[in-house]
Amino acid sequence: MPNNLPLKPGDRVFRPRRIKGYRLRRVLGVPALFSAGYGDVGSSIYYALGIVALVALGATPVVLAIAGIIYIFNALTYAEGSAMIPEAGGSASFARHGFNDLGGFIGGWALMLSYITTIAVSANTIPPYLSYFWPVLKEPAIGTATAMGIITFLMLLNVIGIRESARLNITFIAIDITTQLTLVVAGVVLILFVNPSVLIQHMFGEGNWPSTENLVFGVALAALAFTGVETVSQLAQEARRPTEQVPKAYIMMIIVVLVLFAGISIVALSAMTPQLLGDPVNGWARDPVAGIAANLPSARLQSIFAPLVAILAATILTTGTNAGLMGISRLAFNLSSHNQLPATLSRVHPRFRTPYIAIILFCLVALLLMIPGFFINRYFADLGALYAFGSLLSFAVAHAAILSLRARQPDLPRPFKIGGNIRVKGREMPITAILGLISTSAVWVVLTAGQPFTRVVGLIWMLTGLFIYYIYRRKENLSLTHAGKTKNI
Amino acid sequence: MEFRKILVPVAGTQADEEAIKLACRLAKKDKGKIWAVYVITVKRSLPLEAEIESEIKKAEGILDHVESVAAEQDYEVEANVLQAREAGPAIVDEAVERGTDLILMGVTYKGRLGQFSLGSVAPYVLKNAPCRIILYHERAT
Repeated sequence: MPNNLPLKPGDRVFRPRRIKGYRLRRVLGVPALFSAGYGDVGSSIYYALGIVALVALGATPVVLAIAGIIYIFNALTYAEGSAMIPEAGGSASFARHGFNDLGGFIGGWALMLSYITTIAVSANTIPPYLSYFWPVLKEPAIGTATAMGIITFLMLLNVIGIRESARLNITFIAIDITTQLTLVVAGVVLILFVNPSVLIQHMFGEGNWPSTENLVFGVALAALAFTGVETVSQLAQEARRPTEQVPKAYIMMIIVVLVLFAGISIVALSAMTPQLLGDPVNGWARDPVAGIAANLPSARLQSIFAPLVAILAATILTTGTNAGLMGISRLAFNLSSHNQLPATLSRVHPRFRTPYIAIILFCLVALLLMIPGFFINRYFADLGALYAFGSLLSFAVAHAAILSLRARQPDLPRPFKIGGNIRVKGREMPITAILGLISTSAVWVVLTAGQPFTRVVGLIWMLTGLFIYYIYRRKENLSLTHAGKTKNI
Repeated sequence: MEFRKILVPVAGTQADEEAIKLACRLAKKDKGKIWAVYVITVKRSLPLEAEIESEIKKAEGILDHVESVAAEQDYEVEANVLQAREAGPAIVDEAVERGTDLILMGVTYKGRLGQFSLGSVAPYVLKNAPCRIILYHERAT
């Protein structure tokens, strides 16, 4: 419209954007991607071991090994998906491309549950570790109140918007891996080599091996140990060369995570009985790595490692809580920008430039979830199971989406393609993704059928999400499956 | 000294205008090219590609002004908006990608605890840039 003509009612002035110059500047390399993913996994070591031991007792290393194999399937699927679709949505993006908007929403909403429970579980584990300095923090009520305070503090920080240094993250992760490796070496040399039969006794001795039901439930809970896969996928869009760097970061994570989990679980069971490791009241279920440090056979080593583990655990777990918080706000933004959630959730604060509504809303859900912790000692294990419910579901959706993309879009460029394929109706299907889909679905069914708390809360969460999705899409006059197709529903 | 490719990061401060004028003067001699970039820093709680309307409007306003300043100098600049997590690495990366000979940055007076401070972006660029750098500092008042 010429500038010299006066505007009339109803006239709209459109000024095109400077699109030609609008580019994303991606600067993350393999170390930053790896440390972001390991920041999640590294923090999960501090709580997962105790939660798994609570159920799997002496079979904890075996259960973690089985879950580790499923973890390899998951990491390979995510490596192919993230290199192919470097977007911020993880399994939600894979499913949106592989199926439709509804599939993407189911994967994303399940992932949201796992992020919320990551926030709750990570924060809940900080007070038991800090109880080395302040023993009163081991009290469930005081511990839960402190954890809620930490979440509230992080919520406010994230609403204001904090700067996070990638270099500082890498340094922390390096110190964390070094400490954990030193603990493993010290445990193997000072405990296992001195008396190898103690591990056999603690694993297979009378009353130490779990029932078959608990063994299977243990495998489900062990999914808690292998977080981080989604985090790397979410950051794929920030990688300088996602097609090469993301698969490399995944392979590094697979190696480090499997070695450390095997080492830590074996050393933990060598250092203490499974009953002590899995006891939330008088044992070390809520702070298992502190248990290893406290049970080293040298007073000098104990005096070095016990405070070091307490400080490191608190730091890494705070980072893990914060990572969950940022993950969920990014995911909420991603879902709402694809018309899968109301746009309100992606509203950015005019001053702080953060998605404040999503941050506050999901932190409140995490805080609500923590309330039973005031009264129940074993509640952290229920939270762990709820995490597994969400993450297993989103992993299953991711496997299914990758298989669907292989069938429906076989020519899509795949910079990282999983090897070991079988041909189904002329299409290459990766065996690991098929096994991943079967194993994660089976473990999810066992978990949902066997755990009333997880079943009720998890299913309420999913149904609430689907209800919101249905109402939102109907209000916006969008089809349930494809945003592009407008349909009365 | 020849400056055929000059990168001018702008931030909407008073120093931008003088930095662009200086860049035009330097580039004119060798008929060099000038890129002006404004970096929108996106918080980690948002995806990198998040479109923040207010920030995009602000960026466009600043770059429009930069283009008009260059036009007054009878020169042309290519103006770009970048979206990144941090400004420093984005500027250095842009310089590497463009193969620039010079980064010309305007800096303003900043006080931190009573001491003069360059902030965090300029020191990062000074430390990591692959080319020559000129910092233009407006008079401290």
